[in-house]
Amino acid sequence: MNKLVLLDDMAGQIPDGATVAIGGSSISRKPMAMVRALARSGVKDLRLIVDVGGPDVDLLIGVGAVREVLYAFVGFEFLGLAPHFRAARQNQSVAFQEWTEYTIMAGLDATIKRIPFIPTHAGLATDVLSVNPAFRVIADPFGGDDVVAIPPLSPDFALIHANYADRAGNGVILGDSHVDVLCAKAAKTTFLSCEQVLSSKDLQNLGAGIQILRIHTAGVIEAPWGAHPTIMAPGYRLDLGAMKDYLHQASDPDLWLNYTQEVIGQDHETYVKHQGGALALKQRLGVSST
Amino acid sequence: MTTEPYRFDELMIDAMARELSGEVLVSSVTAFGALAGLVAKAFYAPDLALLATPESGMDVDFLPSLSLGQFFILAQRGIALGMEEVFDAIFLDKFRIWINPAQIDQRGSVNISTIGPWANPKVALVGSRGIPEDTSHLSKLCYYLLDHNPRTVVAAVDFRSGAGNTAEREQRLGRIGAPSVLVTNLGVFDFQGAHGQMQIRQLHPGVDLTAVESATGFHLTAASPVATTPEPSSEVVAFIRQHDPLGLRHMEMQKGSGAAKHQDQAWMDERSLLEAPSAGEGAL
Repeated sequence: MNKLVLLDDMAGQIPDGATVAIGGSSISRKPMAMVRALARSGVKDLRLIVDVGGPDVDLLIGVGAVREVLYAFVGFEFLGLAPHFRAARQNQSVAFQEWTEYTIMAGLDATIKRIPFIPTHAGLATDVLSVNPAFRVIADPFGGDDVVAIPPLSPDFALIHANYADRAGNGVILGDSHVDVLCAKAAKTTFLSCEQVLSSKDLQNLGAGIQILRIHTAGVIEAPWGAHPTIMAPGYRLDLGAMKDYLHQASDPDLWLNYTQEVIGQDHETYVKHQGGALALKQRLGVSST
Repeated sequence: MTTEPYRFDELMIDAMARELSGEVLVSSVTAFGALAGLVAKAFYAPDLALLATPESGMDVDFLPSLSLGQFFILAQRGIALGMEEVFDAIFLDKFRIWINPAQIDQRGSVNISTIGPWANPKVALVGSRGIPEDTSHLSKLCYYLLDHNPRTVVAAVDFRSGAGNTAEREQRLGRIGAPSVLVTNLGVFDFQGAHGQMQIRQLHPGVDLTAVESATGFHLTAASPVATTPEPSSEVVAFIRQHDPLGLRHMEMQKGSGAAKHQDQAWMDERSLLEAPSAGEGAL
């Protein structure tokens, strides 16, 4: 079984208007190579679902690929606010639905379980319930207190970046798993990129470390440095310089236009070269004890 | 051990640490929150199950780092957790976190989502993240602010990311998820005033009532008597300095170009920290 697909061919399969769930969390293990490929494809009107978003959501908003974002958080952690997300929220050029960390998980889970909603107390007495039209406060059919009904979130596509995968689409995530497994299961089509493709035998040796099952995966992409500039434990840490460069380029329309052509617009191999190449990246970002 | 004078960040972290107790997961998102957990476990609450990252790495030997805590977990083969595990702990009330909101109000509602109306923000912040889950399930809610001023401690938040002591909370949730404590650079506050109002519980040494009143966007009442926040012991101060070799607590307090320079330095120094065999052994 061979589900290997090229990065830009993967992106070409995602049509205008698609709903796309993105794995990772803020500045950790974001599928940035796939996100950049999607930005290069010229796709429009995407509806993004993200639990904890960062440069993924920000970049796609920045290139004008996004119609709506469902999110619990979008930010750059200690580096501050997400510039394009912030601008789009403030000038209302994109639609937004504020969810919460668990309710995004519950919405994906409702799709997986093929049920109309999942009840929770999360969000009661907060303004999230006032501004998000997706939720309903309903009576407990068993006579208890009211609960919030979380409707299904049904992504057409999920983008996940793992440490290892085999050609059949099994994946291993070594660092924090975030909500990636839920995204992979809930999406109709899941694309799994990885730092390295292993033989199925070698992957099987990682045993309980296999979290993404091939029954959920439609395509596999080998993309070393595919989470750059975000954190990819244990292989590489945050590329602070590249993150700051992004924030700087995003701060000005002319700089940003140039960045979209010179950095986002290049294929992944060229991108890695522009970042100094694999060797320099390893020296700059590698952590030897892990 | 030499007795060096403590700084206010160390006083705050010690005050935060004293609020943690029991056998619960403690999440590490910010440097102050992570250090409060580490101090609490070492000095006040040995049964705490600290997480090295916002969601994982129980009982791992870790230090605050820019690249979050995942490298420590992997290097030590620590106990990994997933988001489901973390939210189950929240639903079971076996989880604590120090939350640093953008705004907190007199009823203890907190905001990290927007300045101005949500649909038409003056400043769009980050989104409510997991705070709504915390304020609908936990029996203890802990907040801290590094810059207590009338724009951060306000009469009413612009958006309730977390539910304070409002009539709606009373009706929907009773006391579950109610605000418990706020630690700021000026004092320690609880929500035991009339109708669950914020009140002054402790003032930090050298801070007077007038300073707190003028830094607060509403009329604050005081518990009687108002105590003085205990000074951290020299052991606690030394522990904090040893466990924050990158100085990330100072970076958290800085803004603008000072913060940017500190980030660059911390990032350079971080590698040897992550590559050290054991995080607690003073890598730098």
